[in-house]
This record gives sequence, structure tokens and C-alpha cells, in this order.
Amino acid sequence: MKRRTLLQWLASTAASWPLMRADLSALDLATAQELQPDQIFVLHDVAATVLPSSIGRQGQDDAVGNFLKWLREYKEGVALSHGYGEPRLVKSGPSPRSGYLNQLSALQQAAQARGGRFGALPIDVRRELLEAAFKAADVRNLPGRPDGKHVVADLMAHYFRSSDANDLCYNARIGRNTYRAIRVTTVRPQPLNGGRGL
Amino acid sequence: MPVHESDICVIGGGITAVMLIERLAELKPNLKITAVEAGRSIFDRENRGTYHRRALEYGEHPWHDDYIEDQQAKGMISMTMAVGGQALHWGGACNRFSEEDLRLRSMYGLADDWPIDWTELEKFYVQAERRLNVAGDPSPYSEDRRSGPYPQAAMPLSYNLQVLKQWAEQSGLKFSPLPMSRNVSAPFDGRGACGLYDTCGDVCPTGARYSPDYTYQQLIAAKKITLHDRMLVRKLVLADGKDTIAAAHGYHQDRPNEMTEYRAKLFVLASGQCWSPHLLLLSANARFPNGIANRSGLVGRYMNGHKFISAQATIDEQTFPGQNMTHSLISREFFRCATNRPFVRHDTRVWESSAGKEPRLRSADGRLLLGDELLDDWRSRALKGSSVRLRAYYDSHPSADSRLTLDQTSKNRYGDPMPKIDRQLDAAAIAREGATLAHCTGVFERMAKASNGRLTGKPSVSNYWDHPAGGCRMGVDPAKSVCDSFGRTHDHENLWVIGAPTLPTGGCTNGTLTFVAVSMRSAVKISEVV
Repeated sequence: MKRRTLLQWLASTAASWPLMRADLSALDLATAQELQPDQIFVLHDVAATVLPSSIGRQGQDDAVGNFLKWLREYKEGVALSHGYGEPRLVKSGPSPRSGYLNQLSALQQAAQARGGRFGALPIDVRRELLEAAFKAADVRNLPGRPDGKHVVADLMAHYFRSSDANDLCYNARIGRNTYRAIRVTTVRPQPLNGGRGL
Repeated sequence: MPVHESDICVIGGGITAVMLIERLAELKPNLKITAVEAGRSIFDRENRGTYHRRALEYGEHPWHDDYIEDQQAKGMISMTMAVGGQALHWGGACNRFSEEDLRLRSMYGLADDWPIDWTELEKFYVQAERRLNVAGDPSPYSEDRRSGPYPQAAMPLSYNLQVLKQWAEQSGLKFSPLPMSRNVSAPFDGRGACGLYDTCGDVCPTGARYSPDYTYQQLIAAKKITLHDRMLVRKLVLADGKDTIAAAHGYHQDRPNEMTEYRAKLFVLASGQCWSPHLLLLSANARFPNGIANRSGLVGRYMNGHKFISAQATIDEQTFPGQNMTHSLISREFFRCATNRPFVRHDTRVWESSAGKEPRLRSADGRLLLGDELLDDWRSRALKGSSVRLRAYYDSHPSADSRLTLDQTSKNRYGDPMPKIDRQLDAAAIAREGATLAHCTGVFERMAKASNGRLTGKPSVSNYWDHPAGGCRMGVDPAKSVCDSFGRTHDHENLWVIGAPTLPTGGCTNGTLTFVAVSMRSAVKISEVV
């Protein structure tokens, strides 16, 4: 799809969904190589339900963008950590992209069958739809990192297992696994700006 | 057939090999030293920031192709086979053994004494700590006397570890920051300063945690060694009519049908506790039908290391998981055991932890948690006290039947049987297993009592032995050991084994510093005789 055609299509689609939050400017068009635009919209829409409201709309869109970057940079057939103690050679599996495509389409269809856009449905219906989707994908727990079972669980894992989410949970500038000066860690971590979210 | 001649041929490319070579090059600058390593060189330090990120995000192994698929051992705890060895991704823990480790027989009537005097070994610990730029504080226990200071003050304790130290010391045990081979505040020896990425055990983006590949590159640049990587040595060959080693036969991964012969005045086997005894056994010949250096029959026996007991506790104090999860506290309280009491020796370690306080998809009653609900649930657990990780490495004495053998059911591309390691405790160690677990559980419970703490679940015993060693034990009596205290084999005057394989017992704390210290001692003796 040409860029101009894509933009026209996105604009018309967004216009047909009056409550759609994700604006076109927030979309990273490069991610269209990974998921179809309507599916990216669905992902942004679902993010509002499954990610914390306290990070705001921009934060949720950023989380989706980061997740799509993760998907875009996924490499197949790469040796994973061998482990220690009882090592074994395991390689990364196929890209979860095609599974994600199907799951987002299915979620979109299921939402339409229940009355419209996912994000516009009552929370109990949204929960019901996700319960069914997770059950079908055998998602029981929050994955340690995205594992390809279900796109929504993977989006949640990608955010909630992040250093940013850890900081949000503790309302503290911990910065797990990021570059830090040692002296910063020797004192009680500073609260996030304004104690956001608490 | 390609032939390479040198004064010293070092077989193996791990941390003990490079430390030995570096020291030899200082003691005898004109020595021609060749190092031969089966794995590849991974000298791409500029990419380690990327590898760090991908390891976190995708679980990818940060040391690409650091293994040889058909060169693996049953019972080995790491697949890594590369220049730098397992120390490419060690945590950097650099705690010493204690004098008791060297005198188990004479003090307790257990296992065996080492043929080294502690006072002498202690000086080599100091040398090893300098080379590894260890950051540590003096032990609060007077028995842990040192003849020289640590090259750096200890890694500063994070806020979390300060809280945990205060908590843990209410038990009466004294804790210190774990000594670590990390450039704390300034670059050292071509490696950067610590940026607290907290992934020491996977990959260090700055090189702050010691990694042997840096030293290899320095030695190569200074033309102190010739490194042949991807070259698997499959056999040691005797000189005609003599018991000396004439050559080592290697095969390059890209030329599996072409033998390369390494001739040297002196051979050093530095391939670790698995591949050192394996090569000796593989090299059996008519005069040594049980393997090179194996008149005693002890090559591949007394495989050791230490088992460990792990536990989790919860306490009331609030910590913030993620500050510095690879740093820890250590107590050496139980390195010593009174001779009139039941024998138990172990270290005691404390880490920050997020166990039980991770985000979860479902509440305790199974309800799917979404968005704010998930965050609220997470906070309700995370902000209610802290988790603490506890562990004790305990003295685990091997029997003679704790063995590495040649596994005829598993062979590499050349048809060589691969090693199979089956570690076994000796009878006395088996008899005290229950008491050891009870003792360590008691110590953990005593610690947990402070601050309204409690253990979550029962402490568990490991299913593998960490810091594996042994297989070519050192000793005075050629009938009861493979090599002398310097690693010189009793059967072949120009064949030496260094590092982990030579240890009679595996101690009760991390082993790498000790592997390096005994290798530094070997270097001095080798320089005198070569």
C-alpha cells in the first residue's frame, strides 16, 4: 500500500470510529510492515484497557510503539541464553507476527460482534473477550517476556516487565538494567515526578 | 601437516590460562607461548551494549556461537567453549576460600588436605586480586587476615543492601559486600568503569566486570602469545621411549581432516575441570592405557565443587528491587567450624529480590487483571515489605567415585567419546546432608526473625554442584594424586595441569579467585623450570 493511500485509509477508518484515541500522527508508519494499520489501531485501542491509565494516552501509545519495535527487531533462529546449571541449546522460534495478525483480527471481529470497537465496549465485555482469547491461546500467567502466545498478553508483558513499569509500581527512580551512576543507587530512590500514579 | 613449535603450549583459553600466560610473559619475557582453544574468539566488545539490550528484551545469548554443538558433556553446567571460557559471563564474585579448606583432613579428619600452606596461597590471592582489580572490604572476621589490601574499596552497597545488611546482622552474623572483580569508579587495564547495567552474569557492556577476552587481546597485541582458536586438541602424544609429552594434536573447525601438531618444551593443560581430564583420558596409549598422567587411576576422579541451599524470606522493611541485583552480602561466619562440633561449613549470602512481588495477570482468586487493576494488585504486594534471596554454598566433599568418564554413547564428529560427569559425595558428606540442611535452614530462620520476617517455603538443595573443580587432584603422593601442588603431573615432567581440575575439594564459596590464585602459583614454578 502506498503511503498516501495508507494515510487516506487510516483517516477514513479513524473517522468511522468516533471514540478512537490513537491519532494518525502517533502511528509509526514503519510498523505497518509488521502489522496491518487496522490491527495497529486495534492494538492502540486495547492498550487503553490493558495498560495503566496513569501513564496517560501518550504513555500507552509509546508502550505500543515500543512493542511494535520489539516485534520489528525480532530475530528468528537465534540461540537463546543457554542457562547455567543444566544448560541446553534453545533457539528463538518463528516471528510471532502472523499469530498476532490473526489474534488482532479475531479480537476486532469479536468486538464488532458484541457491539463495536473494543475500547467502547463495557469493561466486563472487554474482560470476557480477553479471557476467551487468552484461554484459546493457553495464556495463564503474565509472560516473563513476550512469548508469542497472544499479542495482548505480550503487549502487557512487554510493558509491565519493563524498567519504566517497575519505576511506576514503586513510584521511584530505580532504572533497573539501565546505565546508572553507582552513587545514585546508594540512597533511597527519588520518587517519580509528582508521585504520578499514586 | 602444519607444525607449530613453542616453548610452552597452553591448551585451553579460559581465565586461568590467560592469567598464567600473562604472568609467564612477565617472568620470562622471551618465552614463545602458544595458546590453543577449541572455541572461537569473540573480540567484538563494541557490540556488547546491543547484546545486553537483546539479552534483556529477547532472552538471546549474548555470546554468539560460544559453543560447539557436538563437543558437550553430560553433567557440565555451562555450554560455553570460547576464548575466555565461562569467565566471559561470570558474575565477578571474588571471595577467598579459608585455611580450613586446605586442612580438612588434619583439622576434621575429613576429605584431604591440600599440599599447599595457606600462608603461601594467601600471597597468590593478593596477586590474583590485583590482576582482577577486585573491589572488596576487609572481612569483619579476624581469621580472614590479609597480607595486602584489596586494590579497590568494595562496591558501594545500594540502598537496598544497606537495609538488608541492617536486617541480616540482627541475627548476630557479620556481613560484608561481596568482593567483586568490577572496576567500580574508574577504568582499569583497558576496561571501562561500572555503569550498573546489572547484567554481569550475562554480558557487561562497559567491560567493568573482568573478562578474559580483554587480556587475550592485550597479549596478542603485545605479541606475547600466539593464539590458535577454533582448534580442538584431541590427543597428547608421548616422546619416543620417554614419558615426556612430545606434541599435542589439534584439528581446526574448518579443516576437520587436517591434523596440526603442536610441539613444545612444556605443555600446560588449562581446559578446566571437564576438558582437562577428558583430554588425558582420550590420550591413552600403549604405555599409559588408562590415560596420560593416570598411573594413579585418579584422572577424572574426585570431581568436586559445592552444592547449595537456597531460600526466600519476606521482611517488613521496604526495598526497591532493581537497584543492584547482582551485588550481594556475604557472611563468612560459618567458614570455620569448631572441631568438637558436628561438621558444617558454608558461606551465607543475601540479595535483594522481587520474588513474589512481580506483576501478575490474575489475582489470587483467578480474576483477570487489566490495566490499573494489574498495577494496583502489583503495588499491593510490592509495597508491603520486601523479598530477600538467601543462599549457602556448603562444603561438599567428593568421593573417589565422583567421576568424569568417557561416554561411549555420545561422540563428537571425530568419534571421540564425550565426557560424562557424575558427582558423588563421600560417605561422611552423605551422612551429614540432613544435618547440613537443618543447620542452614536454622541460620536462615534466625536471620528472618528480625523485622517480622519469615521464610517463604522450605529451603531447597541444589540439583547441581556449582563452581565445579577436580578431576586432576594435586597431592604429594603420586599414588593418591595426579599432579603436585604446582600442577606438574607426577607421570610426565613436562606436562602441567592448572586451575580448577587440581583442587582436591571445592570449598564453600565461589571458586574462580582460587582457580586463578593456584594458577598464579603454578606460573612461578613453570617459569623456573622451563
